Amino acid sequence: MTTMIQVENVAKAFTLHNQGGVRLPVFDNVNFSVAAGEALVLAGASGAGKSSLLRILYGNYRPTSGRIAVTHAGRPIDIVTAVPRTVLDIRRRTLGFVSQFLRVIPRVSALDIVRDPLLARGASAEEASARAKAMLARLNLPQRLWDLAPATFSGGEQQRVNIARSFVDPSPIMLIDEPTASLDAGNRNVVVQLIAEAREQGSAIVGIFHDEAVREAVATRYLDITDFRKAA
Amino acid sequence: MNTHLNVGEDTKPAYNYAYLDEQTKRMIRRALLKAVAIPGYQVPFGSREMPLARGWGTGGIQVTAAIIGPEDRLKVIDQGADDTTNAVSIRRFFERTADARTTEATDEATIIQTRHRIPEAPLKAGQIMVYQVPQPEPLRKLEPHEAETRKMHAWGEYGLMQVKLYENIARFGEVTTTYDYPVMVNGRYVMAPSPIPKFDNPKMQMSPALQLFGAGREKRIYAVPPHTSVRSLDFEDHPFRIQSWEQPCGLCGAADSYLDEVVIDDQGGRMFVCSDSHHCETRRAEGHRGAMLADASALHLVEDEAKS
Amino acid sequence: MNMQVNPQELALDPQPLLSVAGVSRFYGERIGCADVAFDLWPGEVLGIVGESGSGKSTLLRCLAGIDKPDRGEVLFRGGAEPLDIYSVAEQERRRLMRTAWGIVHQNPRDGLRMDVSAGGNVGERLMDNGARHYGKIRETALDWLQRVEIAAGRIDDRPRQFSGGMQQRLQIARVLVSEPKLVFMDEPTGGLDVSVQARLLDLLRVLVRDLGLAAIIVTHDLAVARLLTDRLMVMKDGRVVEQGLTDQVLDDPHHAYTQLLTSAVLTV
Repeated sequence: MTTMIQVENVAKAFTLHNQGGVRLPVFDNVNFSVAAGEALVLAGASGAGKSSLLRILYGNYRPTSGRIAVTHAGRPIDIVTAVPRTVLDIRRRTLGFVSQFLRVIPRVSALDIVRDPLLARGASAEEASARAKAMLARLNLPQRLWDLAPATFSGGEQQRVNIARSFVDPSPIMLIDEPTASLDAGNRNVVVQLIAEAREQGSAIVGIFHDEAVREAVATRYLDITDFRKAA
Repeated sequence: MNTHLNVGEDTKPAYNYAYLDEQTKRMIRRALLKAVAIPGYQVPFGSREMPLARGWGTGGIQVTAAIIGPEDRLKVIDQGADDTTNAVSIRRFFERTADARTTEATDEATIIQTRHRIPEAPLKAGQIMVYQVPQPEPLRKLEPHEAETRKMHAWGEYGLMQVKLYENIARFGEVTTTYDYPVMVNGRYVMAPSPIPKFDNPKMQMSPALQLFGAGREKRIYAVPPHTSVRSLDFEDHPFRIQSWEQPCGLCGAADSYLDEVVIDDQGGRMFVCSDSHHCETRRAEGHRGAMLADASALHLVEDEAKS
Repeated sequence: MNMQVNPQELALDPQPLLSVAGVSRFYGERIGCADVAFDLWPGEVLGIVGESGSGKSTLLRCLAGIDKPDRGEVLFRGGAEPLDIYSVAEQERRRLMRTAWGIVHQNPRDGLRMDVSAGGNVGERLMDNGARHYGKIRETALDWLQRVEIAAGRIDDRPRQFSGGMQQRLQIARVLVSEPKLVFMDEPTGGLDVSVQARLLDLLRVLVRDLGLAAIIVTHDLAVARLLTDRLMVMKDGRVVEQGLTDQVLDDPHHAYTQLLTSAVLTV
């Protein structure tokens, strides 16, 4: 299968300039790759840097060193050195990030939030609406909420809107950070199914799942971050 | 030098011919030449103190003084009339300082100095119109800064002028500007035609006469050479229109001249008469009679030539 | 593989819309801004953040051609020929300001004609650019008022009768009506109530996206920067101390000053 992410010698340390310049190393010399159709689950104790690694893969955090080749439109691009507009283009077309939290945008309805990625990729308005509604229904979001802005939704409802947005049109690479944290068992199973479907469609998945059952159901491979902690 | 030397007549001090000294007249003529060369462009000039207050036509008087010669015949009108105070005193000024022959007949005049009107009789080649201008800058009310309006003229940025017309239509359904209605000269400069009624604007278009504009207080001279395009600004779907009246002139019956409303008695009686007094008299002399001529004659407001 | 590609986005533009090199402005001994350089690409939204006096407004005035810097070059590629905005004739620069560029001022009074109706304010740029059909100008003005959520019935009202938020939306309509390629905004939500800000921000976000506008937004509000911008430049004492993708700079700030800025905010 096609390699979608190739991580080479990635290290990350935070330097806190306003706290006496203290340097907090996170990990060092990280190497791995993920192919299309794989689901790599990051393991390791809390604080080992799983989330930081995921953010680095997304281009949100900048590694201290190393390179990350992301297969974008058929060719590898180093997301670490890519200029902002390339990173944004990679995110728009190749790289999806599913977090626990929905970033609420004022006045935009749940349905519009879910439709947005489809429209951005050129779907017609009708097709986008139909698929968005199907996805919201599948995640059991009450229909009366679809046309409302999610600012007033509960945590679980917001989370489901966020998941619907991410899986309505799965990206070739999906980075997933604790998506089931505040979901009930039924919705958790839906998410597991969605991830499996995306993977079967060829998405490469990298995820963090605190729930062991979910982890077991999703993973095709594990990577323990603790192995890369620098022995300082 | 043709210095005026009739000192002996004691009412005339030793002024130079046409009051202004020759240097000043040359300076004004240079400004006029430049103005003619760039139709519609406002040329700054060193406006002089005149023996009447600024705002009473000093710009027009200086232009006339700079161009008048002993061979000229001068007509002066104010609001269309030859016999109003301002017209009479300006005419007398040039009679005394320039030995000017004066006339009230439009077709006899070589120079016509005017405030607020263009005569109804068509102008001819060789005639010069001199307009008294209070505010030469058509953009001034919209843009108070001189440096900015100069740039707007320099680069033909006239959108703002159009905004003013837009506002009129938006508010009143039509352009309500009735006098000093802005015009585009020679397709290049937007120009203030002086406070003539917009009724007179079409007379400027391709006129065979030379048209000179003098603003004494604002120190600007501009010009429209003969046979130059003068187009009133408008919108494609709100074309420029002149005023019209439901009735003809009460005295001469003219249906195509600019009319003033005149109150004729204490009972609120009114009539509409030609603002161009010479035009009206000429028509009456030719036998044209308006509906109220007899009444007006009975009140000794006008002479009824047909009766006398 | 499920890989849909929007053809418009496949061909990334070969040339930046704006290339800024070495822009510096000094006030005597004091630095207004120094050695600022960046490229802005079509459709990109760049934020310039920093506290008061950091030089961000000075920089914006230089970039927008309002002030001339002491050094540096700004090349605009919005037309057939690249335009060096400081060496080009003033006439051309003014034409640019009325067509391909727009400036949204912090105070709507600086960007609106307060004695001209809302319709006239929006229509001015059209008339500047030669529109002479009243009905069509009005139609376009109405369309834009609606896009910025001003009721059609207010078209003949003057901006004085509008609230601050409405005035700001009107200013935006007045600028965007000429379909500029590049818009400069100086604290576009400054001086507005928080609730009014949110509405304006959302409107700006949608308009910028729908029109594919490139924009340079100066703000001290990191939440505004996060919502509206793709990229961020952090300024301190007239210099750019950090720049990059907006979420990178805000979530993983590297410079001491940026860390201070981001930690000073409750949540962004």
